[in-house]
Amino acid sequence: MLFAVFFPLLLACLIPFLSRYKHKVHTGFFVLLAPLSIFLYFVSFIGHDFEPVMKSYPWIPSLDITLNFHLDGLSLLFVLLISGIGALVTFYSIYYLHKSERLGHFYVYLLLFMAAMFGVVLSDNVFVLYTFWELTSISSFLLIGYWNHRERSRYGALKSMLITVFGGLSLLGAFLLLTVITKTTSIHEMIQQADLILSSDYLPLIMTFIFLGAFTKSAQFPFHIWLPDAMEAPTPVSAYLHSATMVKAGIFLIARFSPIFSTNEWFFIIVSGIGIITLCWGSYMAVRQTDLKGILAFSTISQLGMIMAMLGFGTEAAIFGAVFHILNHATFKGSLFMIAGIVDHETGTRDIRKLGGLMTLMPISATLAFFGTFSMAGVPLPFLNGFYSKEVFFESTLELNNTSLAFAEILRTAIPYLAVFGSIFTFVYSMYLVFGTFRGEKHLDQLPKKPHEAPIGMLIAPSILILGVIIIGLFPNLVNESFLAHTASAILGEAYHPHEIKFWHGFITPLKMSLVVVGVGTVLFIFRKKWSGVYQAIPGRLSMNKVYDTIVNGTKTVSARITNSYMNGSLRRYMALILAAIIVVSLGTMYLTDGFTIELHPDTLADIKLPEILVAATMAIAAITTIFTRNRIAAILILGVVGYGLSILFVIYRAPDLALTQLVVETITVGLFLLCFYHLPNLRPRTESIGFKSVNLIISIGFGLLMTLIAISAHSSKWYSTIADYFIHTSHDLGGGDNVVNVILVDMRGLDTLFEITVLGIAALGIYGLIKLRAKKGAE
Amino acid sequence: MISNLAVLPIVIPMIAGILLAFFHKKIPLVRSLAKILTTTNTLVVLFIWLYVKENGAVILETGGWEAPYGIILVADLLSITLVLTTNIIGIAAVFYAPASLSKKQEEFYFYTFFFLLITGVSGAFITGDLFNLFVFFEVLLMASYALIVLGGGKVQLRESIKYVLINLFSSMLFVTAVAFLYSVVGTVNMAHIAERVQGVEQKGILTTIGILLFFVFGTKAALFPLYYWLPKPYTVPNPVVSALFGALLTKVGIYSILRVFTLIFIHDTDFTHTFFLWIAGLTLIFGVIGALSTNNIKLIVAYNIIPAVGFMLIGIAIFNETSLSGTVYYLIHDMIIKAALFLLVGAVVYLTGTTDLRKMKGLIHHYPLLGWLFFLSSFVLAGIPPFSGFIGKLQLLKGAFEEGEILIVIVGLLASLLILLSMIRIFIQAFWGEKDETVTVNKAAARRFTLPVVFLLFFSVFLGVGAELIFPSVEQIADYLMNPEIYIQSVLKE
Repeated sequence: MLFAVFFPLLLACLIPFLSRYKHKVHTGFFVLLAPLSIFLYFVSFIGHDFEPVMKSYPWIPSLDITLNFHLDGLSLLFVLLISGIGALVTFYSIYYLHKSERLGHFYVYLLLFMAAMFGVVLSDNVFVLYTFWELTSISSFLLIGYWNHRERSRYGALKSMLITVFGGLSLLGAFLLLTVITKTTSIHEMIQQADLILSSDYLPLIMTFIFLGAFTKSAQFPFHIWLPDAMEAPTPVSAYLHSATMVKAGIFLIARFSPIFSTNEWFFIIVSGIGIITLCWGSYMAVRQTDLKGILAFSTISQLGMIMAMLGFGTEAAIFGAVFHILNHATFKGSLFMIAGIVDHETGTRDIRKLGGLMTLMPISATLAFFGTFSMAGVPLPFLNGFYSKEVFFESTLELNNTSLAFAEILRTAIPYLAVFGSIFTFVYSMYLVFGTFRGEKHLDQLPKKPHEAPIGMLIAPSILILGVIIIGLFPNLVNESFLAHTASAILGEAYHPHEIKFWHGFITPLKMSLVVVGVGTVLFIFRKKWSGVYQAIPGRLSMNKVYDTIVNGTKTVSARITNSYMNGSLRRYMALILAAIIVVSLGTMYLTDGFTIELHPDTLADIKLPEILVAATMAIAAITTIFTRNRIAAILILGVVGYGLSILFVIYRAPDLALTQLVVETITVGLFLLCFYHLPNLRPRTESIGFKSVNLIISIGFGLLMTLIAISAHSSKWYSTIADYFIHTSHDLGGGDNVVNVILVDMRGLDTLFEITVLGIAALGIYGLIKLRAKKGAE
Repeated sequence: MISNLAVLPIVIPMIAGILLAFFHKKIPLVRSLAKILTTTNTLVVLFIWLYVKENGAVILETGGWEAPYGIILVADLLSITLVLTTNIIGIAAVFYAPASLSKKQEEFYFYTFFFLLITGVSGAFITGDLFNLFVFFEVLLMASYALIVLGGGKVQLRESIKYVLINLFSSMLFVTAVAFLYSVVGTVNMAHIAERVQGVEQKGILTTIGILLFFVFGTKAALFPLYYWLPKPYTVPNPVVSALFGALLTKVGIYSILRVFTLIFIHDTDFTHTFFLWIAGLTLIFGVIGALSTNNIKLIVAYNIIPAVGFMLIGIAIFNETSLSGTVYYLIHDMIIKAALFLLVGAVVYLTGTTDLRKMKGLIHHYPLLGWLFFLSSFVLAGIPPFSGFIGKLQLLKGAFEEGEILIVIVGLLASLLILLSMIRIFIQAFWGEKDETVTVNKAAARRFTLPVVFLLFFSVFLGVGAELIFPSVEQIADYLMNPEIYIQSVLKE
């Protein structure tokens, strides 16, 4: 199983080299090797006696992240889907993509995606699953943006990435919570602890997170909006990622976790509710599209909704229906995408308004399309697999369990009607798709190319899929026991034995529902033009796309507005904000922690006599005066008074060395300032508003107050003797000097001194460079 | 003898810096010497790292003055890991510098300032003395002042002055706070302070001084609401200088918070660490808002420094073993990826001649490797697995959940998405799109820029995919941080 995940990755590494020979051999042939071999390997697991397999490889065991690969019925279905459809799509792409395209890029992304997808469905470790989950988003981003010279491609790529990564991150949130609660990172061990999870306080949050992850990936309403825009990707990609595999990852996730959550009523309400809404909305909107791939995109959304709804029902029949439909949907939708690609390839357009009457020109494609669309529409014919899954779906909507929540009860009653409603539109767009393209008038003059049948290579892959449609249609029970039953068991968490699917059950309700669908659908299809005005009312101008665009563009404008409102480049503003924050928080802390203490012991305080008072008063006056001075030189001289005052205080308190240092520093700085200021213009008179000044005043006083209060408290809280005593005692004996300050500077804390000197050195070199380098610039 | 190992990561770059100042005009010689010296230093640090990992912290009482009286250097696993990361970034910077700097800038002591910056940063990580920490802050700041104005024009000087003044202010506040603390506990040795703070159960005044120190470090670390000085000034100097700043300076601030608030002020966490959690959330939010607000690609990267610091603060605020391992891992990751991003963006600006995103398109057709490196680093930055950012984020958020802090996790997850948006916008706009045939393509220059970036991104990938080789050490660090008495005992030898 390690092989399944890493073989595509390894191959991806080789592709850049192999693609150099693309003119001799189309790179796609090399790529084909991966899905084909993996498909053949895994297909051998199918059988009545299939037993889940678990393989474990260490990766980051210290974080409980191990490569535990778990192959059960559910992952087997997906692995076969990914490799099977992968092989067909790769084969198709060989004819679809011309050798002049950047094939290397295309196939690297595709293989990356394939590996990621195998990783998602096989991982038992939640964080490994998450890793691959994000990798699918990334590779999808790259594939949608493959033709990145197109504006729409870039838009679609970003959109899909944002929405799916959003979901991915929310999934990460769920996984983290689950891990914290269950103390394990393994999904099957989590399932064993389902009761613990269900009784957790975080249950609503976990479910929300998981649903967000699943619904975004599987394009459920209202997150479906990325899927139509993802159609900018080359058609093989649309067929593969955006219909058969990646978008089913959300379904997979819900299925994987449903043994844990399915007993919770909100699981039913949300999953079925959203599923059924998506079914209706997707099919309703599909009729309105004009782009072939647009129709198919909304159709995929709607079909995914249907599968999701069945998973939400949670009954045995519904789960089996979901599994059955996953397989069926992959067959007919994959082929239809390929045919849309063929039509695009051969006519040069996908606009259904320009197409029409292609049946005679492209008979094989048209035949395939008829099978595909009729199966999708659920037309009651015994050789169409779509009919059977639709029938199972209808049946399951009628068998929902009674619930205790009133809300769930309403939903339960409404679901069958909504199912019919959605299916009617499914029928309409299916007919619209096939008849609009292949029947009706020809508009050959509007087509960019002269249409003709596609090369045989391009037709092989869709033919194989249609063959699947017919075979499952003719023998609907062919793989149920040996294959799909295992899948259903894995989702249900208990052994499941499928009932036999028959074409004719008798004239029962599901069949009546189907007949209503066909009847009403035909009428609506024929009179399509008459009622299309309804789209003016619903959705009208309402659109989730607008919401997305507003949010994404809004992040830019709003964040610019917020940021520019305070990042205005004014240093004064920044300082004011910083100081205000410090004052408020620190004073708050002091108040809340009862940090202010004042103890005025006469022995810890010096005597204050007249000289001290005089000096202090002079300093205070000088400091205040500087604010009001209009002249720079005067200001600096007055500021000098403060400095000299300080050195007098040092003298008074018997610190002659400090006093000397202070004197020297003060003299030099005043001198330097005077030299500089000589070259500067006079200060402009201050014209700030009173409001501005008062804010500044409050901040200055506040900061002064803060410092004073802390200083007083710090002085009043001398709980310990200081290390200074040690220095005084050892200065002579250990330091060899009697001047303890000197010994501290050069010995005890010599490292400080060394690096303070370094600081001075750097400053000197820096200033030298600043002057010299600029002066030379000026000379040039 | 072995205890002298602790001083080597400080002394080697200091001597290197001084040495290179003497040959500053001989550029080829200086370049080769710088490359040799920085690599040598990295190897020495690697050796110390291995030693410390095996045998525990190396503690040096400088000048033979015993703890707690003299200055004690503590090369424990946390500090030496960060020093090692610093030196790895140093290698990338030295190899990138010749391509990016003008000859004149190299002549005017770039390499000297660079080595002294490394000295200051390494010293700040290693010292076990609060006042000495202040001194190393001065060294690294002075070196950064010299670097930020190096060969600068008007804009550079205008923005630098804001940087210098706000940092000077915070240094002043730092030394004042140390004085206050000394007045209360009578010591500056961190282990000793920790012991004494515990002795009086961190009374109110100590918490207040702690908060004051938090503001000092928070200003350096660029936390909300103190980061105004950071974004613009970081965009004006040469990319290699921006890379060093973005990778190292704010990280010294967050490291200091980590150290001080896991060792010293840990007795009123209900108050202090809850406050940090708010600050962390706001830092995340305002940081990403800033990153989304502009079209200047250098500024986008500069703003992205801020949410990263927010992430790291979450771990300190949550304060359990899981979250602290997240903070440490994220710290290592962020140092590397920020350096890589600044170097990358510097290359883009050099090659296109503009910082304005709207004027760029289709670069990937001319410079595919550069484009893919940028793509990769966007995901590394946003914390997408299997890269380095994910491991740190995983532990941070898991730690937060363990304490039931739901809101911060949601903020963190949303912030990740928006970080990715801010980066992928650059990728889509600048690298995707039609090939611009009119521009002159300078493949040779692009190659010179990419090699150091590849070197750094190798570590980003390695720290993710090969996390098993690193994470156990980080876990060990987190465990050590949760048990401060180990630190105290090893320093004070009781």
